[in-house]
Amino acid sequence: MPRVAARGPQAFNTRTGGHMPTLAEKYELLACIQCGRCTAGCPVSLRTPLNVRKLVYEGQIGPGPAGAHERPQAWSCTTCSTCTERCPKGVKPMELLIGLRGKSIERGKALPAVRDALESTFKHGNPWGRSRDKRAEWADELDVPIAGEGEAIPLLYYVGCTPAYDPRVQDVARALVRLLEAAGVTYSTFGTAESCCGNEVKRMGEEGLFELLVEGNRELFAGHDVGSIVTGSPHCMNTFLKEYGEPVGEVVHYSQLLARLLDEGRLEFKGSVEKKVTYHDPCFLGKHNSIFDEPRSVLERIPGVEFEELDRSRERALCCEGGGGRMWVEAEEERGERLADTRVKDAVDLGADVLVTACPFCLLTLEDAVKTSGCEGKIEILDIAELAALAL
Amino acid sequence: MKIVVCVKQVPDTAEADVKLGSDGRGIEMEGLPLQINESDNYALEESLLIKEDRDGEVTVITLGPESADEVLRMSMAKGADEAVRLADPALEGGDAWAVALALAKAIGGMEYDLVLTGCMASDDGMTQVGVTLAEMLGVPHATYVTEMEIGDGSVTVGRELEGGLVERVEMSLPAVVTIQTGINEPRYASIMGIAKAAKREIHTKSAADLCLDAGEAGEAGSRTKLLKLDYPPAGEGAEILDGTPSEASAKLANVLKEKGFA
Repeated sequence: MPRVAARGPQAFNTRTGGHMPTLAEKYELLACIQCGRCTAGCPVSLRTPLNVRKLVYEGQIGPGPAGAHERPQAWSCTTCSTCTERCPKGVKPMELLIGLRGKSIERGKALPAVRDALESTFKHGNPWGRSRDKRAEWADELDVPIAGEGEAIPLLYYVGCTPAYDPRVQDVARALVRLLEAAGVTYSTFGTAESCCGNEVKRMGEEGLFELLVEGNRELFAGHDVGSIVTGSPHCMNTFLKEYGEPVGEVVHYSQLLARLLDEGRLEFKGSVEKKVTYHDPCFLGKHNSIFDEPRSVLERIPGVEFEELDRSRERALCCEGGGGRMWVEAEEERGERLADTRVKDAVDLGADVLVTACPFCLLTLEDAVKTSGCEGKIEILDIAELAALAL
Repeated sequence: MKIVVCVKQVPDTAEADVKLGSDGRGIEMEGLPLQINESDNYALEESLLIKEDRDGEVTVITLGPESADEVLRMSMAKGADEAVRLADPALEGGDAWAVALALAKAIGGMEYDLVLTGCMASDDGMTQVGVTLAEMLGVPHATYVTEMEIGDGSVTVGRELEGGLVERVEMSLPAVVTIQTGINEPRYASIMGIAKAAKREIHTKSAADLCLDAGEAGEAGSRTKLLKLDYPPAGEGAEILDGTPSEASAKLANVLKEKGFA
């Protein structure tokens, strides 16, 4: 009791009657030795005022900021996880940044673009402001199985919001369907009943909405006795694997499934793609989930492909700035070159004809960067499923 | 400062293929998410900004079925102090006159300095409730307000006119102001906040509580009657560009060039 009283009324959680943890307690910031490896590795620290080490320090020496509205640079974080990967003391600075966003969300101080994405997710089950009944339109010309009410789904193709709605990424979903058909894979989708996985919602700091989505999705999966799930985005895979509490079944990214189908001889390439290809590791596939080899093994088995690594690859891969809600938020006080521009130029310098990736956000940011970096006509951006489908 | 905000729950039809209902006087509501009427959301935000700027108390009021409680809870999550729902099947189905009368009966019995509401409901687009309510309450009003400043016993507002003109009007309080979208940046109501607000009381009032006779409420108390909804006849001269986004945009670029716009 005296401990609580000594911290004053603000530190007392009236709802639980318990002590409200400080930032330092909640995120174990006192373990930080201020070495600065987080900021040194942070891909956006060059381009924005975001200084991860300094924010951790503020939490160490005092109550810290009340939320991201007091430190708008917290919205610049792409949640690439480099800071957390590099921390020698096991501190998770990225979680602190998401926590600061959460405090702003609680106070209603979400940036307008974030507010719109969250309200859309609540109303329509996707952050893109599109209506639910248009969610399956990407497959209109195709014969994509949609599970009936209560029908068991041994293998679920969870399409995801961006592949379902974005006209460019819809091509990737369609390419993947062609590959699955070619390999004779039996699968099913939820059609318009599919809802957002919540990965980006959680990273925007809207924990309550995330929990609502988890509850709804778990119920939907259970109602169809879902066995395994192949996701159309590493972001969806990440949250299903790590943030849904009890496992929701075996969850794989489509690049993993394609590698497995090639291993088993079920997927065969009859054509070839005579191109020099390099690969951009999506953060949520690579850094977050250590899936580096499967996409490369798919690329290397496509006949005609000459594969060469970018200098910064695998764990050292440069983030494209599309994660952590950044598809909706511009970085604070941006300066210098966008990371996706740098990435595209690196690929052009390597002499690649195609820069391949395996994530809807990476695909969109890199393709934009081809235009903004003046590399139009010099390089093509394709998803790994699109490149593979070219060799069917 | 006591502020009353009138809000309405409406279907979100932004991207929906709206279909007429079987009675021909409404639309198919199935599959349409419900939400606060857009300009009401700006009115609510304006009330909360006033409340934060000076001591104030915000009461949010709606007329509608139980589902409309969602809009009230969202308003409380954002910072409204009290919520009232005019909850009586007898009150529903009314036109702007009947709705304004029910609101006037409810608000007339409260202490208030300012009544805010959206300038237009996105479902029926009538724009009548705010002004009718002001007449019934016997207070001044201003519509399509895009700027507002509270003075001492008065309010100065900017009304949006055509051609980018703004008309400035000073009114004595109490007054009714109908708010245009864009006057502010509405805040976000977190799901946790809405869940907490769900534990708070929503005051309900029936037609009898409002001292309204059967002939004064809902459809019976309406002065206009909606006969029939219909799709607008297809016009001429429109050309739909098909193809993939890049094909369609290339076609559009050609059209613009041909017509001399680019």
